[in-house]
Amino acid sequence: MSVFTLPQAAKEEVLLKELSALTEHHRENCEPYSRILAASGYEPATSVAQLPWLPVRLFKNLELKSIPDDEVYKVLTSSGTTGAEVSKIYLDKAAAAEQTRKLGATVQTVLGPKRLPMILVDTKAMLKDRKSFSARGAGVLGMSNFGRNHVWALDNEGHVDVEALRGFLEQYGDEPFLIFGFTYLVWLHLYEVAKDNGLDLSNGILIHSGGWKKLVDQAVSPEEFRNRLAGVGLTKVHNYYGMIEQIGTIFLEGPNGGSLYCPDFADVVIRDPETWAEQPVGKPGLIEVISTLPTSYPGHVLLTEDLGVVHGVDDGDWPGKRFSVLGRLPRAEARGCSDTYREAA
Amino acid sequence: MIQYRFGVEGDLTAPSDDRLTVGDPRVIDFLSKLARKLLAPAVARRHPELGSLGFFLRPAELHRTVEHMRSRDALVFPRGNVFHIPPANVDTIFVYSWALSALAGNHNVVRISERSATAADTILTALNEVLADADPVIARTQRMITYGRDDKVTAALSQWADLRVIWGGDSAVEAIRKHPLRPSARDLTFPDRTSWAALSADGWRAADPAKRRAAVLGFTNDSYWFDQAACSSPRTVFLVGENTDDVRAEFVELLLSMVGERGWEIDAAMAVEKRVNAYGMAATGAISAMEFPANSVTAMSLITVPDAPRRWIGAGAFPFAEVGSLLELVPAMNRQDQTFSHFGFTSEQLREFALALGGRGVDRIVPFGQALTFGSIWDGYDLPREFTRLTTLVE
Repeated sequence: MSVFTLPQAAKEEVLLKELSALTEHHRENCEPYSRILAASGYEPATSVAQLPWLPVRLFKNLELKSIPDDEVYKVLTSSGTTGAEVSKIYLDKAAAAEQTRKLGATVQTVLGPKRLPMILVDTKAMLKDRKSFSARGAGVLGMSNFGRNHVWALDNEGHVDVEALRGFLEQYGDEPFLIFGFTYLVWLHLYEVAKDNGLDLSNGILIHSGGWKKLVDQAVSPEEFRNRLAGVGLTKVHNYYGMIEQIGTIFLEGPNGGSLYCPDFADVVIRDPETWAEQPVGKPGLIEVISTLPTSYPGHVLLTEDLGVVHGVDDGDWPGKRFSVLGRLPRAEARGCSDTYREAA
Repeated sequence: MIQYRFGVEGDLTAPSDDRLTVGDPRVIDFLSKLARKLLAPAVARRHPELGSLGFFLRPAELHRTVEHMRSRDALVFPRGNVFHIPPANVDTIFVYSWALSALAGNHNVVRISERSATAADTILTALNEVLADADPVIARTQRMITYGRDDKVTAALSQWADLRVIWGGDSAVEAIRKHPLRPSARDLTFPDRTSWAALSADGWRAADPAKRRAAVLGFTNDSYWFDQAACSSPRTVFLVGENTDDVRAEFVELLLSMVGERGWEIDAAMAVEKRVNAYGMAATGAISAMEFPANSVTAMSLITVPDAPRRWIGAGAFPFAEVGSLLELVPAMNRQDQTFSHFGFTSEQLREFALALGGRGVDRIVPFGQALTFGSIWDGYDLPREFTRLTTLVE
């Protein structure tokens, strides 16, 4: 069972219908969204790339939801990378259940249907820190549902717990097991430790995410990350790209690496930041993420501030578009005379 | 860590025996030579804004300013010690602020931001070149320094100053004001400002194509030079008249072609910034329509005049609003409003507008193309007078 089944043309046919209906749904139920569509001269889309998109940062500035207040079941917040701004995402019961179900179906593509013993490359103490909990904690907690007999790779002080890892591998190392963590934590605290202590991770399936910036600073490319992990036996490695504003949707790296794939209920469009038209294969641009999961808030078509490129369509491990994330677009800065004397502030 | 960019190194707050006078010939000589350097074709080509600065510092202009400092009723003297904190990224403000104060005979310390850009470096190079042949009193009394997160330096200079000049917006003023001044000293502050543009539909329709082009070119310079973020850059455009859609359409069309000709480029981040802000304004009901004909121009239709944003919303982002007459704008203007640039109005209309404002808002009413032209009367202050003090003598 897989959620990576539809060739691009078939997928677009399904998505256009569902997302057009979602656009109408949000237009009727979210007044700010309806005002945005009206002001931009909205007309129904005839292709996925024509669907009206929202800049993802709007969720930091505005309260956007398509459900009444008394149906709000969960409010998710992102960790703000820029100042105090955080995104607020409103879920009702149905949307919350659906995002968990679809996330499960996506990861099961590479994990199989059974829960596997699991290493969390993080510290349990992090769950107590309310500040970092929102983003990192939610990621770890969400993913921990797909494993069992969890072991934390880091102790409460953030040091690697080699004994716990050894114990885990003695007990479960002969059968498939799941490893989850943020990319730089996996690099710093799992790869290095496995190498130094001769830990055998060859039955592990690694799912990892998080920005590459910290690794790029150490001159570690995605290819090198993969090659070096293979050196400690870890060959089943899946990076993913996702964001709180489209919770439940992840774009997952295929078995052979090198590209991210879109599940059947999601897609990406790469936009030329000059003309805003869809970029052809091979041309980098801004990543627009598309998903049918956001039913309780108008986050079904979002323009991110990440740069990416589509490498190919229907020509990889799985059908549909395959793409890479190239990094963040630097924020715009005004050179104005209201530019403050920040050093003293 | 203090880095000396201009003037002699040493204790900045030590008492000095040097005395300059209002319009001191040694200062005039120095500034005139600086003007010549800035007006050199190679410099002006690379940094057009330095050309305007050079123009401001020509001898004739300097003598005019000194003349303006004189008083019939009193003897005029330098104010004393002046500590300048200019904005980080409008590269020329620090020179205007300092030069006027030096011309008034003050001892000056100017804090140059660590984030200053290349035009600032060009100016500092020119300043030091001129200094080599200048009277040594200049180096002893005029200092420009850069220092990082060091409240001690700010505190010491604040205690030293008779006048502290704070540019850079509300938060800069608030941060610097945590450091007390001597009881006799005072602040000259330049807080957050908003500026506007107004276009008379009748005046536009009456103007020939060349005049329209010239107006839009001036507006383009006013708006794009500092990414529309200088305090005097126009933000909202008020279309004054009736059925102004045709005027707006032609104005935007000319704006697009002019921005293209002048090669003003808007990067992807700025284009996204403008989308975020325009979509946000649409979501909250401030605008009824938004158009993105190119990355360089974002045009929006404001629903009401009071919805005009007072914060920066990106380079080349223009909310438009139609009003029947300039007088309709009067209730919407306030103390934060600085420059009001205009095209197509009669002198009587402008004067009537200024009188109706009654000083409650708007400091400068200037034609398109002059929004960024610095004057010694700025933000409602007569700077030459602020930099001097008066002694009365009854015989």
